[in-house]
Amino acid sequence: MKLSTYNFLTSMAIKGVKVGFPLKLTISKKELVETEFNPTFVERLLPKLDWSAVYGAAQVAELAEDIPAVQPESIVDNEQLLQKLHHLLFEIDVLEGQLECPETGRIFPITDGIPNMLLNEDEV
Amino acid sequence: METPHFDHLTSQDYEHVYEPAEDSFLLLDALEADLPFLNGLQPRLCVEIGSGSGIIITALSKQLANTSLCLATDINPKACDATRRTARHNGGRVDSVNCNLADVLRKRLVDVLLFNPPYVVTSDDELQCQMFGPGSAGESNLSTERNLVYSWAGGKDGRRVTDTLIQQLDDILSPLGVLYLLLLRENKPNEIIKRLDSLRFKAVKFMERRIPGEYLYILKVTRLPS
Repeated sequence: MKLSTYNFLTSMAIKGVKVGFPLKLTISKKELVETEFNPTFVERLLPKLDWSAVYGAAQVAELAEDIPAVQPESIVDNEQLLQKLHHLLFEIDVLEGQLECPETGRIFPITDGIPNMLLNEDEV
Repeated sequence: METPHFDHLTSQDYEHVYEPAEDSFLLLDALEADLPFLNGLQPRLCVEIGSGSGIIITALSKQLANTSLCLATDINPKACDATRRTARHNGGRVDSVNCNLADVLRKRLVDVLLFNPPYVVTSDDELQCQMFGPGSAGESNLSTERNLVYSWAGGKDGRRVTDTLIQQLDDILSPLGVLYLLLLRENKPNEIIKRLDSLRFKAVKFMERRIPGEYLYILKVTRLPS
């Protein structure tokens, strides 16, 4: 699971959960996957991302010094930050770890890079 | 658009995961035919629900290389794994999430949604029994047979899962989002088009094809201008 994907995941399908976001991320094994840097795409994706979850992911991935805690007004000309965001969002693949619902504490394991977010019938 | 290689998948995989067939290829052909539209849309987030072997979302990810984020969901963990492997095998970039439909995604962010649903007409009893039989979610509890049944058993009119998705579509698609939905004639596409219209979506039969024993459609669904 890439950290860009992480930004889109919620646990709101659980009965009674209101927002379910951001999920609490734990990384126990990760892999670096080099991918081509496209600054335009990173910049275009930003409006769909939640910055607090971007920053949260950076903290968990030990890259917090690369990413400002508050989203800068404009980063279109800040190639260096775009590059760092690219690395954080697209080049770190979480192989093992977990996601935790912020409201219920329900744990979703990540195994072989795939989060298991299936819910039992009595949870929905 | 290139058809991804899937020679890495074996007969053992196909005991658990739907093998690419005519319906998969029709969806690929529809996407290829609509590339001018897709290029104009400049999608940022593409999602395939029920990705199975993963060839469709992999093909799209290759086509949109480095310009779009591609995610795949499947209720079957083996399909999630197959999708991940297919993407890697073809140099595509696709993340897999094991979940039901688009339940785990934040709302109204998906620009391109793909769905080749379980469309075979079966009795609802059969579907319920298969899906909610003894045991619950989780790989260890899912029998091989149940995993594969998810990929085709559609309940009454082959529409149980499709109808659920349509009901959630407003929460899934971004303002300019588009859904490509595969249907069988027995799913009553005209009824679905009317239903979508009442939910303020425009649906057109974008492509259709007769294959041995089945007549297939691709519906292209967008929001009606408000």
